[in-house]
Amino acid sequence: MNQSMLRQERTAGLMFALPFCVSLFVFFVYALVRTVLFSFQTYDLFSTPEWVGVANYIALLTDPLFALALKHSLAFAVVVTTLQTGLALLLALAANQKIKGRGAFRTIFYFPSILSSAAMTLIFLWLFQRQGLINQGLGWLSAHGGLIVTGGLLFFALQTLQFLWKRRKYTWMRWGDPFNGLVSFAVTVVVMVIMAGYGIGVRALEQPVAITWLNTREVWGPLPRTIWAIVAMNIFTTVPTLMLLYLAGLQSIPESLYEAARIEGASRWQQLRHVTWPRLMPVSFTVVTLGIIGTLQMFDQVALLGDAAPLESKVTLAYFTYHNAFPPGGSPRIGMASAAALVLATLTLILVLIQRAVGVSETTND
Amino acid sequence: MKITTTLITALSLATTPVLASDVVRISGWGGNDLVVVNSLLNEVLADDIRAAGITVRYEPVEGDFAQYLTNALSAGTAADVFYVDSFWGAPLFRSGAIAPVSNANQAVADALIPALNEAFMYNGQLMGLAKDFNTLALQFNKDIFDDAGVAYPTMDDTWHDFRSKLQAVSTNLGDVHGICVVPDYARFAAFALGTGWSPFNEQGHTVLDDRFRDAFEFYTTLPDQGAGVMAADVGQGWMGGCFGDETTAVAIEGSWISGFLRDQAPSMQYGTVGIPVHPGTGERGNLIFTVSWSVANDSQVKDSAHKLIELLMSPKAQQWVLESGLALPSRESLGNNPYFNGTGQEAEISRVVFNGASDGYVEPFAFAQYGGDWKSIMDEALGAALLKERTIDDAIRHAQQQFDRLTGR
Repeated sequence: MNQSMLRQERTAGLMFALPFCVSLFVFFVYALVRTVLFSFQTYDLFSTPEWVGVANYIALLTDPLFALALKHSLAFAVVVTTLQTGLALLLALAANQKIKGRGAFRTIFYFPSILSSAAMTLIFLWLFQRQGLINQGLGWLSAHGGLIVTGGLLFFALQTLQFLWKRRKYTWMRWGDPFNGLVSFAVTVVVMVIMAGYGIGVRALEQPVAITWLNTREVWGPLPRTIWAIVAMNIFTTVPTLMLLYLAGLQSIPESLYEAARIEGASRWQQLRHVTWPRLMPVSFTVVTLGIIGTLQMFDQVALLGDAAPLESKVTLAYFTYHNAFPPGGSPRIGMASAAALVLATLTLILVLIQRAVGVSETTND
Repeated sequence: MKITTTLITALSLATTPVLASDVVRISGWGGNDLVVVNSLLNEVLADDIRAAGITVRYEPVEGDFAQYLTNALSAGTAADVFYVDSFWGAPLFRSGAIAPVSNANQAVADALIPALNEAFMYNGQLMGLAKDFNTLALQFNKDIFDDAGVAYPTMDDTWHDFRSKLQAVSTNLGDVHGICVVPDYARFAAFALGTGWSPFNEQGHTVLDDRFRDAFEFYTTLPDQGAGVMAADVGQGWMGGCFGDETTAVAIEGSWISGFLRDQAPSMQYGTVGIPVHPGTGERGNLIFTVSWSVANDSQVKDSAHKLIELLMSPKAQQWVLESGLALPSRESLGNNPYFNGTGQEAEISRVVFNGASDGYVEPFAFAQYGGDWKSIMDEALGAALLKERTIDDAIRHAQQQFDRLTGR
């Protein structure tokens, strides 16, 4: 290749990279530098910024709302990342089964992720009302608790009876055999309908279940009840996307590995434990990393709650940042918002590095 | 040929009258307001605007208007004339980005209801002219009161009368509640202010004293007293919703409820009276919800912008707004307008709401530079007490701690 062609190729390469470099510089490098500068200043978007050193960071440390936001964000990240990773894996394993109507199941599983989080939040706001579907469902469960427990026990007993009977006849059968499960289920349903008809196992509630999900200050475990509602919303919309990643990962595992494992006498659990899980490590790394980043930066679902929930019960770090930048009816506090944004960014980076060091590995270890 | 063309062009330019037309950009929120402002500009004021040598460019904004305006003013891209809500006006007035009302418009300001001007005062200067407003009033369902055999609410009712009537309705009808309450200062204030309590004392601090406690206890115990229910418990988010589906006998809303009832309950026979008076002070409390026309301080066409506001606030424009039933115009003299003497229920609600701005202890729906931070403390206290998550005293004590941190003491 002569010099002229080499120069031309280099120029072409630079031209291709230029748009990305420009956008990276403007929207990341420049914005980051400005944010760092603002975090050492007081600024309300109108008056000249005033240098205050680390005062904004000290103010953050002494602000109870920031402490609350930090606690909520960390707890939310741990809870949601754990739940969504587990559920995504389970759904992917289910959707990977060679069963009839597999395409339809996959579509149904994936469906929630195509809806916008704004639309989903509004739907969930309606579901979580004091007289919403969630409370009505809980009310139904509470009223029919006895019936459901009885049904569960009956199913277990029927399945065990079939298992023992077949064993007695020296016929091989797993306890969880689907066909026998269907028979047990059908008998259970018939018995439950009859019981319900006679009012057995059903109790009348003195008061309808009226849990206040959103406009409340109640705390359940590590999170306010309001954020538990957001956990449900968030998982519902993110799990399908993560399931898709796991599904792609599952399909990339060679069938020969399972065949070899089966020849060695590995059970389904052992195949999952020693073949599937190690081969899914890179996917799990992606899923957990995306989960941590996404959950720490969760904002829209909190913002869309609006006045439906008290600030203290819904605030997260991302919302705290926005709330300081654009306090409703108040002066913008850009310095505080910038400091909080940098704390959030640093925290995200640290958590991802920790998870990379001690958590899920990004290699298959083989 | 070329010379001839040039000469003709020059001659025609020289003989054309110079039209000194300033382009004034105006901005407000979208939705229904878009139709109202367009009609006002194009049907009512078109000739006057043209005669004033002004060309108006209207730029409605969908979404969060306060955030848009803050960004636009700080970036120097805001329209010349725009809405400012009293709720979030103070930070913008303090920023110096908004020009005070011009001397030329002082006459217009003097013609407005004084309480409306109070909502836009900052450091002794008037920063905008209230284009319209709303206050709170008590709407009652006549059929429900008739069925329950209870006397209608009246303008002279005290809190105790009000509560007794609601209790009687609930007791007599069983399936109808008196009122649905919401954990929202924007409704609770109707009682809090009636006691003579004020959101800020002379030092600018918020003090939740015994007068406040009196109102807080009255409002948050309405459900316990058999006089009401929480809106959330009947699947509603505001008092108008409960009233519209006839779950409750009364509501405390502004004149905006009339449009809602026209659509949702067209056959409902309802009346409107003022907020019940406090038994001790004998006064009623009320909030003013209002929006001003204001001018950007860095506008290049400030004189024309002020002139345009003068036209938008002219008696002709305000009369049109009133007769359209779209909002309550802010000129005091319109209180004598024949429209208010009508016997229809919408005329009645307009009359009571209009008079509400000058009756009793009235405050603008504004919380100095604290805005939503102030209101959220109050709303949380109301919610905690209504849901029994805190006792009344605990809720007030907790709110006072938060107010002390916010406003100092």
